[in-house]
Amino acid sequence: MEKDDLLITAAQAQLALSAEEAGRLETAVSEMLDYFEMMNEVDVSNLPPTTHALVRENALREDNPNPNNNQEDLVNRAPENEDNFIVIPNVL
Amino acid sequence: MAASTSYETFIGLEIHIQLLTETKIFCGCKSKFGDKPNSNVCPVCLGYPGVLPALNEHAVELSYKVCRAMNCDLAKEGMFERKNYFYPDLTKNYQISQFEKPFGRNGYFEYESGGGIKRIRFHEIHLEEDAGKMIHQGGRSFCDYNRAGTCLLEIVTEPEFKEPQEAEDFLQAFRRTVRHLGVCDGNMEEGSLRCDANISINTPGAGLGVKTEVKNLNSSRFVKKALQYERRRQEKVLKSGGKIIQETRLWDEDKSVTESMRTKEEAHDYRYFPEPDLPPFRPDQAFFDMIEKSQIELPLARKQRLTEDYGLTPDQADYIVEEKAAADYFEAVVALGADAKTAAKWIMGNVAKELNRIDLSKADLGTEKCALSAERLTKLLGMLADNKIHGKIAAQTLAAIFNEDKDPEVIVKEQGWDSSADEGDLEKIVQQILDENPRVVEQIRGGDQKPRGFVVGKVMKATQGTANPQSVQSIIGKLIG
Repeated sequence: MEKDDLLITAAQAQLALSAEEAGRLETAVSEMLDYFEMMNEVDVSNLPPTTHALVRENALREDNPNPNNNQEDLVNRAPENEDNFIVIPNVL
Repeated sequence: MAASTSYETFIGLEIHIQLLTETKIFCGCKSKFGDKPNSNVCPVCLGYPGVLPALNEHAVELSYKVCRAMNCDLAKEGMFERKNYFYPDLTKNYQISQFEKPFGRNGYFEYESGGGIKRIRFHEIHLEEDAGKMIHQGGRSFCDYNRAGTCLLEIVTEPEFKEPQEAEDFLQAFRRTVRHLGVCDGNMEEGSLRCDANISINTPGAGLGVKTEVKNLNSSRFVKKALQYERRRQEKVLKSGGKIIQETRLWDEDKSVTESMRTKEEAHDYRYFPEPDLPPFRPDQAFFDMIEKSQIELPLARKQRLTEDYGLTPDQADYIVEEKAAADYFEAVVALGADAKTAAKWIMGNVAKELNRIDLSKADLGTEKCALSAERLTKLLGMLADNKIHGKIAAQTLAAIFNEDKDPEVIVKEQGWDSSADEGDLEKIVQQILDENPRVVEQIRGGDQKPRGFVVGKVMKATQGTANPQSVQSIIGKLIG
């Protein structure tokens, strides 16, 4: 695995890697990916892609309101709230 | 019209419409604009661990309805994917959307622009969940998740508009169409219809250039203005030997400019993968039949039919077709026997004025809010056509229908406005006025037509305005010769 790819992957996973960790993971992740590579040896050209593990389809719900009664509780679970808003550090 | 430019322009639009469902896409929370913050939330739309999404049937139906109206290939299998991004407008760190198998593909839509019919193609139409709203203030961001998880349909056009004006014309026609379909209220200010635009320019024949995306366009007029600005800006950059940077820009309404948004350097990688919590949607033939049955005559076709079948002017047809309620109302009035052109003239004129006076609009025509039912307007126009009342009295009667919520015949009778009461009576009145004004009679006999108006005025006064001026004129002619 290229180091750049590893750093991008880490950033997307919201992980801050030290240089030492990055160096160590570079080898380790490469080995893992090689291991996954084994799956590519199987011929799946005649199989439709699996998108779902369950043999199910069309699970639908009617468009009827089913109000939740614990909104207040849910808002209060946030570390900070004000005027019913959930408050977080400015992300703009 | 086309600006003098040595470049070819490519414009595409990405439109989001909020579907008119009662509840959100994956939970039973109410889908409602303007409620107290975080009052329509639950563990599902707040992304609590262990919850399961359940797809809203009506949202799927409305989506297919739009896809069909936009001439898409309808998906025999639709699927949902997770679009991963890290931003607190959604708490799950991903948005459930469609990627590999959207509900609609390869559609097109026809609209009027520049005096002709143009066609825009759609790349795809897909259903997804909307994100929450945030207000950023000082060191803090305030999150409201009432909108998080509401049903959002995304429509992406091919970059085939050649002019900003075309994009505006399309957007207005598209808005009208989704309103007619009853799938979206089309309110751009409240954000139930949102539009981002992308634009690139290039030397003719060279294909697409490097595009920029423009956001914050909350009216169709801003779409045009922002694109015009952005095209000029790109031309300046290219002419001075510079390069366009692919970026997102924000339209600043007050300054009428687009400004670069600070964006991260790396391209977005959303790492789409199938949503394991939602099985695929494979509709049966009955579903497709139901979608087919739900189709209506679209506004453009209806406008063409109204001009061809009823002889309306394009302006009249446009005015009436703008709201489905008004078009249905107009056709109801015609079906009840009113003359189509007269009905159109009245709906656009006196009726519009009255609606405006009492704070209604043509969208209210034919509804309970509006006292002027199709039957009442038909009767009113019938009395006018039969010369029972004349134009001015008809206008008064119209106002009285709105004020008193009564049938026009009742009003005319109660007020004694029936001018056809007795032609003989009218003749007597005219004769009396002529007798009282011998000089006027002489003038008229001498060929001076002006004093006729004086006589008509006197008669109108004597009959309290109910006499038909045309009848009075013909009686004068008859009596004086």
